[in-house]
Amino acid sequence: MEDFEFPECTTFGSVIRFALELERAAMAVYDDLAGRPDLAQAAESFKALSAAHKKRSDVLEHTRREKLNEMILEPIQDLDGSKYKIETKVPDGVDMAGAKAFSAKMEEVSGSFYLDSSEIAKFLLAEAARILERMGKESQANKAKVEAL
Amino acid sequence: MALLPEVKADYGKLKNFVNGEWVESSTSKYLDIENPTTAKPIGQVPMTTTDETNAAIEAAREAWQSWRETPPITRARLMFRLKEIMEGHFENIARIMVQEQGKTIDEARGETRRTIENVEVAAGIPSLMMGYNLEDGAASGIDEEAVVTPLGVFGAICPFNFPAMIPFWFWPYAVASGNTFILKSSKQVPLTQAYIFKLVEEAGFPPGVVNLLNGSHEVADAMMEHPSMKGISFVGSTPIAKYVYKKSAENGKRVQAQGGAKNSLIVMPDAVLPRTVSNMLASFYGCAGQRCLAGANLIAVGDVAEPVLNKFVEGAKKIKVGYGLDESVNMGPVVSGAAKKNILGYIEKGIEEGAKLVLDGRGIKVPGYEAGHFIGPTVFKDVTPDMTIAKDEIFGPVVAFMAMDTLDDAIEFVNSSPFGNAASIYTQSGRSAKDLRYNVHAGNIGINVGVVAAMAFFPFGGFKDSFFGDLHGQGRDAVTFYTDRKVVITRWF
Repeated sequence: MEDFEFPECTTFGSVIRFALELERAAMAVYDDLAGRPDLAQAAESFKALSAAHKKRSDVLEHTRREKLNEMILEPIQDLDGSKYKIETKVPDGVDMAGAKAFSAKMEEVSGSFYLDSSEIAKFLLAEAARILERMGKESQANKAKVEAL
Repeated sequence: MALLPEVKADYGKLKNFVNGEWVESSTSKYLDIENPTTAKPIGQVPMTTTDETNAAIEAAREAWQSWRETPPITRARLMFRLKEIMEGHFENIARIMVQEQGKTIDEARGETRRTIENVEVAAGIPSLMMGYNLEDGAASGIDEEAVVTPLGVFGAICPFNFPAMIPFWFWPYAVASGNTFILKSSKQVPLTQAYIFKLVEEAGFPPGVVNLLNGSHEVADAMMEHPSMKGISFVGSTPIAKYVYKKSAENGKRVQAQGGAKNSLIVMPDAVLPRTVSNMLASFYGCAGQRCLAGANLIAVGDVAEPVLNKFVEGAKKIKVGYGLDESVNMGPVVSGAAKKNILGYIEKGIEEGAKLVLDGRGIKVPGYEAGHFIGPTVFKDVTPDMTIAKDEIFGPVVAFMAMDTLDDAIEFVNSSPFGNAASIYTQSGRSAKDLRYNVHAGNIGINVGVVAAMAFFPFGGFKDSFFGDLHGQGRDAVTFYTDRKVVITRWF
């Protein structure tokens, strides 16, 4: 399993970095689940979720480049990143129920991060806030998807 | 948090870009380029000679005629191409800026975005440069038109605080308008432009159209004296702006010279305090206070003084100081040891004159970067309008807090400053906002905005001792500065 580094959320860049780490971790988790023979019946769904998270990473990279406005780069002092760190190592030998619960929890925490950070970003970077909010809603939808597998 | 990788550890000896080629200066004098976070050299910049400067101006003059004859749409296409190339190098441009200037990666990314925005706006030159006409304007059967025309060779002399953006307030507009250009970058932060000019070269501008010179006052003086130079754009301190204005004008050139600032941020009793404080922190401490639009004086009006000060100091204490390549850092070092010494001198002066230091950034230590030119967030209270720290441009992370009874008092104080770059008010009252915007003599007014940085399609420039000239940088002002209007009256027999 890869290592993931979740930074303090004190700047716009570090919030986006945190989000990119969430996406990278989600891709790794779903790729891992898709490759497990015991979970073969859901492999295609896990692959699709991994691809969706890859696409979200690209959106975040684009957001970092294009939605940042130099004149309102305020320090972020009220977003506690430690609340949103996700478990990234899928337990060995996990069964389908365990896999669903593991990934649902990951999507739930990640959804909370996006929705909470979109509230904070609202005054700082309205366009980025909209993207973060949309991602939060997508994470909630992903949670429902994995629970329905 | 792990640092983002530096683009290079050492950039070596810089060259000039003249007439489409990278040329080594014949000078024996090179200065070290320092990373202000580590205080270690990361390259050497040549002090280009007068003869070399004159040769570059001649190359630009020779390139002008065919460039001027290049249709505006073709010139615009080169701007589009440059924009695309710069987008591909976005992150490297930003990281080099952090390395040589000390700002944070967020600030550098924001600056890179603004740099590219100027290219985008200049790409609209076919529309921006259109003249106007009037059928039968002179008399029946005699039409009159005003044709906008480029003038020749222009140049810009740029400061250290925005290594990427400030040169782009000028040259894309000048070049898109059909002029050729000499850019002198700051000797303290020449790496960013050296990198960007590789991209300019890749974009395919004809030889001599855009030229980059490294150096000091010798280059600047030669630019201001050379008869082929049609005009000079400058950004820096007020004493040097006055010098550039006078010397350029004496030599018959157009000139726009942006000088220093001492910007006040005024908080009214009805301000939305948490949002106000957050925004003010960005204004006072963004770029370590080294913006010409940075807040310097914090003025609280009426009974809001104590809560504003308390909240502000509480927020300032949480500002994370460090190497800007750590994405979680809020504030980097100031640009040099000399700048740090100057700022520390002002802090001493504030204490001597009786202001009370409520947050002292002098002793800050950043682990791993003990030699870096760091000053932590600093706040003075009990500042009075006559104190040096309330009047002089400090250009560092030092806040002079003042309490005043009324908005009129605050406006009177703001207008008493010789500077007129920016002023902001935090309020929910349209009446107070209107009073400020109407009565304050400054070029940039913020209503609940503490960094009043005009976008590329608006003019940027101050009033009073913050600006010498009439047409500002960026947008339509820039196009007007770099062109003239030729009137043509036509009659057919």
